[in-house]
Amino acid sequence: MDQGIEFQLNGERVSYTGSATTRLLDVLRDNFALTGVKCGCKEGECGACSVLLDGKLVNSCMVAMGRVAGASIVTIEGYSKTARFAALNAAYAAVSAVQCGFCTPGMILASEAILAKTPHPTEEEIRAGISGNLCRCTGYNAIVTAIQSAAKEGNGLW
Amino acid sequence: MVNGFNPNSLRQALEIRAANDVIPYAGGTDLMIGEQHPGSYLFLHAVPELKRVYLEDGILHLGAGCTFTELLEHPLTPALLKEALSQIAAPAIRNEGTIGGNIGNGSAKADSALIFFVADASLKLESSTGTRILPIRDFYIGRKQLALHPDELITEVLLPLRWLDGYVYQKVAARKALAISRISFVGLLTLDNGVIAHCATAFGAVSDVVIRRPEIDSMLIGKSVEQVKAIRSDYLAAYDKAIVPTRGRVSSEYRKAVCLNLLLDFLNHYEI
Ligand SMILES: Cc1cc2nc3c(=O)[nH]c(=O)nc-3n(C[C@H](O)[C@H](O)[C@H](O)COP(=O)(O)OP(=O)(O)OC[C@H]3O[C@@H](n4cnc5c(N)ncnc54)[C@H](O)[C@@H]3O)c2cc1C
Ligand code: FES
Ligand code: FES
Repeated sequence: MDQGIEFQLNGERVSYTGSATTRLLDVLRDNFALTGVKCGCKEGECGACSVLLDGKLVNSCMVAMGRVAGASIVTIEGYSKTARFAALNAAYAAVSAVQCGFCTPGMILASEAILAKTPHPTEEEIRAGISGNLCRCTGYNAIVTAIQSAAKEGNGLW
Repeated sequence: MVNGFNPNSLRQALEIRAANDVIPYAGGTDLMIGEQHPGSYLFLHAVPELKRVYLEDGILHLGAGCTFTELLEHPLTPALLKEALSQIAAPAIRNEGTIGGNIGNGSAKADSALIFFVADASLKLESSTGTRILPIRDFYIGRKQLALHPDELITEVLLPLRWLDGYVYQKVAARKALAISRISFVGLLTLDNGVIAHCATAFGAVSDVVIRRPEIDSMLIGKSVEQVKAIRSDYLAAYDKAIVPTRGRVSSEYRKAVCLNLLLDFLNHYEI
């Protein structure tokens, strides 16, 4: 009979037995209580729901569960246990790149995606990399500075 | 899996497609917008045949399941296609969104489809019983209407590379990132010793289907730049007639005016 959908979630093997058409965002929040994954639009427009799927940045509201079978998903809860997170966390805090914090989990994972691809990104590359993550508080400049400083301070981590 | 199928070969995918009432799911970035569809998805991301990119006799074969990011990083992707892909949405959408889904969605706003139109690309459509090759212009029948049989999948885009080097591409949208085209334009032009060897244009997001009118563009082909100057106004008048914008969020008068301005810019760019 049906095995359910098996995948890695923050490094642990898990299984989901509901519909393959359900949004990953809803499953992460409702079934796995990972509420660091935020819902801002469910239309792919805001990036608050960003997670890493096999290391790539995706909007979890735009992903159906069947896509996740056999894949590895990392949410901010899992990522926050890494040394790379510590570097980003310190950099974001140092320049006050966080205000209300709603965009922050997605923004941190977008930062990770940028640095994983380009350890020393230009400002343009950073702005392109976070272009799908909306922040209504900081005005972005602080976030760009934080990512630049994480690249510098966390030298060697990426 | 409940309400889903996860084939890992094209043959398997086509057999499932033939035997079940399923919705192909490539990157989900169109399907997942709004209310969830009832029914089952046929997930295509693990079908290796849909990820292939190869060159054969001057035609670049692009697997329908290639994501925008994959094609942006691929050495065989021509510059024009890269330019259009790099302006689609934002990284997270480009990481999942595919060219097959861009075409399969049936929208005249699809930015990669615009490039396939101007290049006179064809589509490979496969079912468990056979394969057909159809010019992309014949694939789009009308608003959200495609010549796709219920048992078929789009498996490849066949992109002729010959005339793609000289181009002007313009995407008019409300902002820089995450913006759907309000009007998009692409013009190809190749000059050979002062003679127009090739000219092709396409207008997206204006009508139900991308506007591509080779019979108008052929007015310029084979003529020298000087000769073309004499018939420039006839050419523009022909497009003035051919461009009939559908009503949309942006007024049709505005969209038509912008289309003609973009066409004019294109001619000016080549000093004709
Ligand atoms: C925030 C946001 C911004 C966007 N910005 C842009 C933009 O700037 N430009 C643009 O062009 N688009 C944009 N889009 C739309 C979307 O990302 C693209 O159309 C994308 O190419 C869809 O591909 P997909 O693989 O995600 O398609 P899916 O959602 O998986 O599928 C779309 C349709 O195609 C069908 N389909 C998919 N693959 C096949 C196949 N192989 N054979 C037959 N049918 C198939 C599906 O059944 C479905 O009907 C945006 C979307 C979002 C959410
Ligand atoms: S909730 Fe997914 S992008 Fe906004
Ligand atoms: S800190 Fe409030 S949305 Fe970014």
